[in-house]
Amino acid sequence: MDAVVMNHLSKKYSGGKTAVEDMSLTLKPGEIFGFLGPNGAGKTTTVKVLNGMLQPSEGDCLVFGESPSKNPEMVHAISGVMTEHAQMYNNLTGLQNLIFYGAVFGIGEAESRKRAQELLHQLELSDAAGQKLSAYSTGMRQRLSIARALMHRPKILFLDEPTSGLDPESAYNVNQMIQNLAGDKGMTIFLCTHQLRYAQEICTRYGLIDEGRLLTEGTLEELRAGVSSGMKLRIRTDCQPDCAAGYADTGQNGKSRGNVSETKERPGVYDIELPIESEDEIPRIVSRIAASGGNIYHVSAKRPSLEDIYFSLTAERR
Amino acid sequence: MNRAIGAIVKKDMREITANKQLLFTIVIVPLVLTLVVPSIFLLTAHFAPEEADDMKELIKLMPETMQKMGMEQLMIRLLLDNVLPMFFLIIPIMASSVMAASSFVGEKEQSTLETLLYSPLTVKQLFYAKVLASFLMSMLVSWASFFVMLLGVGLEHYVLTGDMLHPGINWLPVMLLLSPAVSLIAITLIVRGSAKAQNVMEAQQKAAFLVLPVVLLIVGQFSGLMLINVWILIGFSAVLGFLAWVLLRTSVGKFCGEMLLSGR
Repeated sequence: MDAVVMNHLSKKYSGGKTAVEDMSLTLKPGEIFGFLGPNGAGKTTTVKVLNGMLQPSEGDCLVFGESPSKNPEMVHAISGVMTEHAQMYNNLTGLQNLIFYGAVFGIGEAESRKRAQELLHQLELSDAAGQKLSAYSTGMRQRLSIARALMHRPKILFLDEPTSGLDPESAYNVNQMIQNLAGDKGMTIFLCTHQLRYAQEICTRYGLIDEGRLLTEGTLEELRAGVSSGMKLRIRTDCQPDCAAGYADTGQNGKSRGNVSETKERPGVYDIELPIESEDEIPRIVSRIAASGGNIYHVSAKRPSLEDIYFSLTAERR
Repeated sequence: MNRAIGAIVKKDMREITANKQLLFTIVIVPLVLTLVVPSIFLLTAHFAPEEADDMKELIKLMPETMQKMGMEQLMIRLLLDNVLPMFFLIIPIMASSVMAASSFVGEKEQSTLETLLYSPLTVKQLFYAKVLASFLMSMLVSWASFFVMLLGVGLEHYVLTGDMLHPGINWLPVMLLLSPAVSLIAITLIVRGSAKAQNVMEAQQKAAFLVLPVVLLIVGQFSGLMLINVWILIGFSAVLGFLAWVLLRTSVGKFCGEMLLSGR
């Protein structure tokens, strides 16, 4: 059974704003799906529709076979949700909060306490377990929210900007945890973020959205194959720019396809960036520069990142 | 599901009792109504001159059985069986109105409503949990006030007259039926208002200036029933109880998460 199925899903608010438009997407169990786009792109609205918090204007969706609009409570029983607007009680301690939400999900107090302590330990909050939430920092609240979403051991976890406000070490730990949940426990992760570099680190598949529309979806390789800009080669050499560019490659009309810029720290040394079709081109270019007597200080091949793909797609739209 | 509802009720009660200022107002109003006011009445009845014309006029209005009592006894019976029961329509509603008014909109202001809505409880169950929390609070305060009143008034009566004081049969339907029914009606209306309100102030405003006066005004019209017959009182209370049940069942209506979050 698919973890999430969205079928021509649209959500138009009563004010007339269309937050999600004609979105169709399928998620397999156990994937870490990165749902990526800028603020206001429709990510949180999609999460709310998938959890029955908002009714779709058109189309439909299923979460592990259950309809969020018809049986939201059935979906809630198997999903954990962490969003910016789903906070906990300031007058309760971290541990009391988790035990309370455990009880709300029908878990007995002893079991809730056990699970809460395990999660607090995993998220490095054991020392703050007895502190009231009002004394928690933003990052601690964020981690406690993740713990809260995991209390009932959901089959699918919806995370909205899970590492915003976290220091690098905490963010690393959270990432490890997310990967373990998907890898070891087979949990499906629906991760919304605008931080594309962060998503590239942990997600197995991606959906890029802008203004409520799904631009593309697939694995990183599939997305790379879908955009025109392929691999880029960076060379730092003291070869003359026209000579270097000429050695490297020329376009159909004889002009260089690459960008050439002189480095500030070492005059007479140039950074050349060239689009190439495959890694097979690299030895030929390097040997031609060397044969002309140029020194080579740096060679690297850069594949398009999610950011490159995203900007290329949004540029195409505009 | 009962565990979830129980957890919400417990959490809501704890939130109120942890707030010392709020707890003080919840405790002080019933104390004034059940200890201070009756004490003034008792002392007035004990020391007032028997021949006052106004009192004679009042006696003429009473049922025959009561006219035979002495002035002091009559005033005490009037106080205990006719005036004080009315307070027990006010006390539970006042004690729980703040809690009921902030039930949904308070969660919304704390950004905890969405978290609750992500639970496997239906919106209806959540509504019942919120009503139940306020209702239990109202009954807790009501019964505690009742026993404080019995003890306080009984003791004062014993000191003043040397006799024990027994509450009339009217108290039974008032405490077991009428007071819970009226509280449930008021609480359901206030919680419903809270679900639709944009902020706590709006919900409290609605509760204090709309629901409370209307409910008390309507119920006040029937206070004379206590003088007529206990069976009529029971019948009236049962009708109100049924109304409360119908109101509770129909209030949830078309509530859904989207409506609760947007307040529309």
